[in-house]
Amino acid sequence: VQKQVVIVGLNHRSAPIEVRESVAFENSYVRDALTRLRDYPSIHEGVILSTCNRVEVIAAAPDVSAAFNDIAAFLAEQKAQRHAGALDEHMYKYQDAEAVRHLFRVAASLDSMVVGEPQILGQLKQYYDSAQQAGTVGAILHRLFHRSFSVAKRVRSETGIGSGAVSVSSVAVDLAKRIFDRFDDKTVMLIGAGKMGDLMARQLQSAGVETLMVTNRTFERAVALAESIHGNPIRYEDFPRYLIMADLVIGCASATELLVDAATVEKVLRERKQRAMFFIDIGDRRNFDSKINDLDNVYLYNIDDLKSVAEDNLQERANEAEKAEGIVGEEVENFLRWLSSLEQVPTIMALRRRFEEIRKGEMEKSLGGSLKDLSEAQRAALQDMTTAMINKMLHGPISQLKKNSSEEDDDSTLYAAALKKLFDLGDK
Amino acid sequence: MDAVLIKLIPIAYLVAAGGFFLYLFRGDTTTRMPATLLLSGFVIHSLALAVLFFQAGFATVAVMGDALLFNSWLMVGIYLLIQLKYRLAVLGGIIAPLAFLMTFAAIAVGGGAGEIPPGFQTFWLPLHVTLAFLGNAVFALAFGVSLIYLLQERHLKHKKMTLLMKRFPSLESLDRLNYKLLMWGFPLMTLGIVTGSLWAGIHWGDYWSWDPRQISSALAWAFYGVLLHGRITAGLRGKKAALMTMVGFCVVLGYFLWGDAVFPSRHGGRFE
Repeated sequence: VQKQVVIVGLNHRSAPIEVRESVAFENSYVRDALTRLRDYPSIHEGVILSTCNRVEVIAAAPDVSAAFNDIAAFLAEQKAQRHAGALDEHMYKYQDAEAVRHLFRVAASLDSMVVGEPQILGQLKQYYDSAQQAGTVGAILHRLFHRSFSVAKRVRSETGIGSGAVSVSSVAVDLAKRIFDRFDDKTVMLIGAGKMGDLMARQLQSAGVETLMVTNRTFERAVALAESIHGNPIRYEDFPRYLIMADLVIGCASATELLVDAATVEKVLRERKQRAMFFIDIGDRRNFDSKINDLDNVYLYNIDDLKSVAEDNLQERANEAEKAEGIVGEEVENFLRWLSSLEQVPTIMALRRRFEEIRKGEMEKSLGGSLKDLSEAQRAALQDMTTAMINKMLHGPISQLKKNSSEEDDDSTLYAAALKKLFDLGDK
Repeated sequence: MDAVLIKLIPIAYLVAAGGFFLYLFRGDTTTRMPATLLLSGFVIHSLALAVLFFQAGFATVAVMGDALLFNSWLMVGIYLLIQLKYRLAVLGGIIAPLAFLMTFAAIAVGGGAGEIPPGFQTFWLPLHVTLAFLGNAVFALAFGVSLIYLLQERHLKHKKMTLLMKRFPSLESLDRLNYKLLMWGFPLMTLGIVTGSLWAGIHWGDYWSWDPRQISSALAWAFYGVLLHGRITAGLRGKKAALMTMVGFCVVLGYFLWGDAVFPSRHGGRFE
């Protein structure tokens, strides 16, 4: 019987985080889990995928409903015993086209919490590799996963799904790149030792920034943060004097009054010979005077501005996702066509076996009877000739079967049935 | 043959401009198509000019009605050179339509009228024309770069992200390129004015005759001079510098297109 693709799992939409965590597989445990999965007789091939946002078992199985039950039981076993049973309402079960589509969408990051985030593809590859090492991957999942990787690649290159920053700090870095050409000659000043500022500073460092100044009302905290990000601590009273050196100024202090006003910036700019400055205000309260943005060669973005850019980009991604769904649809069809071509394999094998049996029987009869005086070389030649005859005769029907199963109008089942009947192939 | 060739030039540039617009506004991913179109336009343009030069001589063509044809050829050529180093496909979106307008105007006005009296055909004339036009071409590019700068700056100030913005280079690199172009354009323009003045001195007897073209060139030259000085000493940069660059080019271009009609000048072919 033909194997089908089956997926049972839960993700960020179907289950709350506590439930997802309760069934999540730890990395070191995945191999054991895979062998345990293989012990279920209904599961012929299997891959476990377990990330923060989803836990899924992707399997190839001949009996879909048995596989659904077994995987559900497998996941329930993973979950702490006392909660067992509560899992069912959070699980989704896909088979056939829906299962293939689901995996392709996951790989292309269409099913992610942040649509278009790139990490999922790497995770998928990693879990596929583990399954392959554990020996639970067969022909179907091998093909399925490799197709899903190339679907992901296609979606990434043919749509803009991964473009546009969608987090506050990456939006800020993105904007900085539109103002500045390079960062290795730029200086960043970080005012306040908040967590967001720390994150932003690190992102700018990975964009190339080498010089960082850190200041805070409590000097010790500035020193501590400066140490952890390889910056230079500055006393809070002194920071206005150092503004002239700063190309990017990040404010994340929770002060009640403004840290920098427009008049100060105007003066600083004159001293800097109008070299551009980028003020990033990510504090809960406003750190910088909003009039700063009215000055030439200065750009001020506060947290709300950054969030709104991020939201616009997310919207943009949603639009691109529609294009991506089209690509996924095409690829699902391709895969299913390949899968149905597998259905012909038993028929083809049975047909070959039947002809071979006839050939062998007749050869034995003849070589034991009227042809028993032939030399070894002549016998071998006769064997070759009859084999070649069979191959030539079967070439037409077999290639027709293979071709039919890969084409749109699908007569292959009809042909297969006819062949079975005509040559008495049986069901073995 | 050359008449057909000339008419092909604006068509090629128009198609190239369309290609660049697709890249800028529709999200097409490569610039190979419009860049190739622009290059083929340039090849046709070069061929047409070569034929004209061969038939009528360099000076006649470059000075008379076909001046725009020559000037736009220099502009596209310099853009293609810049394109080799900076990947500035966005600028192509400005240069291609500008090249279309200039070549179209050149054909509409009709070129090749008039003769240069033999006495005036010394080497000063082509030298003056080439230098002055090279200056113009560089400033045309600076105009384009400035326009892109202002658009990018506006987007950043108004906090609107668009596809267009993603295509633009950073403000810093645009400003730097703008400065470089000014550093090239200003000496070229200066030499253009000096050689022109010397030529005038030799043939007309006076180096300075308050000719409208002389006046407008001097105005533009002074304007660019102030800009260059401000850039070097006073940190004049960014938006203001971009605006000034654009105004300066408008003075140059404005006179080029309409000046002769409004203020008759000895540059319009009246050599006596």
